[in-house]
Amino acid sequence: MKVAVARREVDQLVPEPRRRRMSLTTQRMFEGYFFVSPWIVGFLVFLLWPLFQSLFLSFNELQATSLTDLKWKGIDNYKEAFVIDARFLPKLWQTLRNNLLDVPVIMIFSLFSAILANQKIKGVIGFRAVFFLPLVIGSAQVIKQLFAQGVGGATLTQGVNIQELVFEYIGPDAAAGVSDLLNRLLFVLWKTGVQMLIFLAGLNSVSPVLYEAARVDGATDWDRFWKVTLPLLSPVILVNLVYTIVDSFTDTFNSVLEYIQMTAFAGGFRLGYAAALGWIYFVVVFVVLFLVVRVTNRYVFYAGDRSG
Amino acid sequence: MASLTASATPFVVVRPKWYRDGQVVRRRTVTFLQRAFTYIVLIDIAFVFLVPICYILATSLKTSQDLSDPTIVWIPSGFFWINYPLAFFSMAYVKSLTNSLYISLGSAVGQTISCAFVGYGFARIRFPGRDALFALVLFTFLVPPQTIIVPLFILYKNLGWINTYNPFVIPSFFGHGLKGALFVVVFRQFFKTLPWELEEAARIDGASAFGTWWRIMVPLAMPAVVVVFLFSVVWHWNDFFEPFIYLNRMEYFTLPMRLSVLSPSLDTATGGQASELFNEALVMAAVFLVILPPLSIYLFTQRFFVESIDRTGLVE
Repeated sequence: MKVAVARREVDQLVPEPRRRRMSLTTQRMFEGYFFVSPWIVGFLVFLLWPLFQSLFLSFNELQATSLTDLKWKGIDNYKEAFVIDARFLPKLWQTLRNNLLDVPVIMIFSLFSAILANQKIKGVIGFRAVFFLPLVIGSAQVIKQLFAQGVGGATLTQGVNIQELVFEYIGPDAAAGVSDLLNRLLFVLWKTGVQMLIFLAGLNSVSPVLYEAARVDGATDWDRFWKVTLPLLSPVILVNLVYTIVDSFTDTFNSVLEYIQMTAFAGGFRLGYAAALGWIYFVVVFVVLFLVVRVTNRYVFYAGDRSG
Repeated sequence: MASLTASATPFVVVRPKWYRDGQVVRRRTVTFLQRAFTYIVLIDIAFVFLVPICYILATSLKTSQDLSDPTIVWIPSGFFWINYPLAFFSMAYVKSLTNSLYISLGSAVGQTISCAFVGYGFARIRFPGRDALFALVLFTFLVPPQTIIVPLFILYKNLGWINTYNPFVIPSFFGHGLKGALFVVVFRQFFKTLPWELEEAARIDGASAFGTWWRIMVPLAMPAVVVVFLFSVVWHWNDFFEPFIYLNRMEYFTLPMRLSVLSPSLDTATGGQASELFNEALVMAAVFLVILPPLSIYLFTQRFFVESIDRTGLVE
């Protein structure tokens, strides 16, 4: 009896939650949408809508001088890009070739420096701080100015005429590519900050137990790199590869993007054509990424995740 | 962290003195050589990153005679400071610095708050379609900004946002903007590493979802907050493509943008004397002034950059 009274009193004290009916799962569901809603709104307004609109514009003629004057052109813009425009395809090819050369250089260089920066020796923190400098001051404009002054390969390869060596031993085509890469080498190496960070974190997450075991089994440092570090690092390498490809293809220091910008805003004012070029570029980047991920994924070793 | 390093230190084995004659001594020489080699390579790599900065500094102090003298490469004949005030005034330094600060701080604040909010939703709350939405987040990262720049330009023009900072700041508050997807991923990965207990305790004590996020999770996420904020500031500071499209009046230019109009603005600043004063040295002085603010921030915060991914658990 007394208990019942107390029970009733407590019931009166604690107000009945109004939304009792909603199950916990439903409630959590709404909370989830509540948290991601800003992103969804942003996605619709600042990405999806512009993306579709740009696809629509790419089939139209639109001048920046009068934004309301739309003229349907069908696939003429695309035809122009591939058949008439003598500048676009060479630029696209050049960008593709440059990036195919740059990405491996960036990957190998950043892995190499990350391994060095991961050594447990004195002063390594100071070196790390220097390695990440480009991340902070590597502004496209700054790099452009430096590039204009010729601070490229010359400062790095003083005295050694690599271009001539390659020309003599491999051939003129390779020499052109190599000399191009050499001229940009300093700036290519300057794009390694984030990759180095990701590799460093990956190296840290490799368990020291495995190295210990390999050492006990008589593996040399060289063996341990190929048999322990590299397989365990392979998922990180894939992440880095994707990041590097996206980063180099969206880099402003890139002739296609400069050309698109020029077509749309500086001089050309042909927004429809620029949108078509943008879409061609997007598809090309997407295909490259897809192929790279498809091929690389086969060699990635997921420790514990997969049995085979 | 401390316990980790302690456990990694090898045990010290005390051996009799005669033992050193054989194996052990040889090993030690090898490690000494290895170490020397490591330092040499480390210095080589550091050289790659320091050379341009040395070049900027050295060139900025040269006179025009020094510039044309092939024997003078690194050390100018004297300290010719005058390029710095010239660059300072022709870039309208204070004004452009303020513009840069508006864009980078405004966007960084927006991205930090919104990406922490969205990242928490993706990391901790189960709801239908979450994985598909997260795949979309990754997808946004792959879209080159140039593909959507034309419609965005039209959109912002219709909204009257051209020559304002809204095109940079407002998308950041929705978890977009420059590399916004990357920051959402960083926060998601970070929140995933935190223990569930505190959050559950807060929910049982009657905190709302928002309250739990704001009072419990955000304070715990401070390492990620710092990292995202710093990276966002730096990337917006160095960004060049979008500012050049949305800002076309000089008084709104950011600091790096000023470099591209250095010659004409020097002309106006000195009353038509640019042809005599404009040279490589002046450009380098301007470049140094542009990198000076991020460089000085980096000196104080480099710890956060260096440790950033360890702290955010991005690689798990």
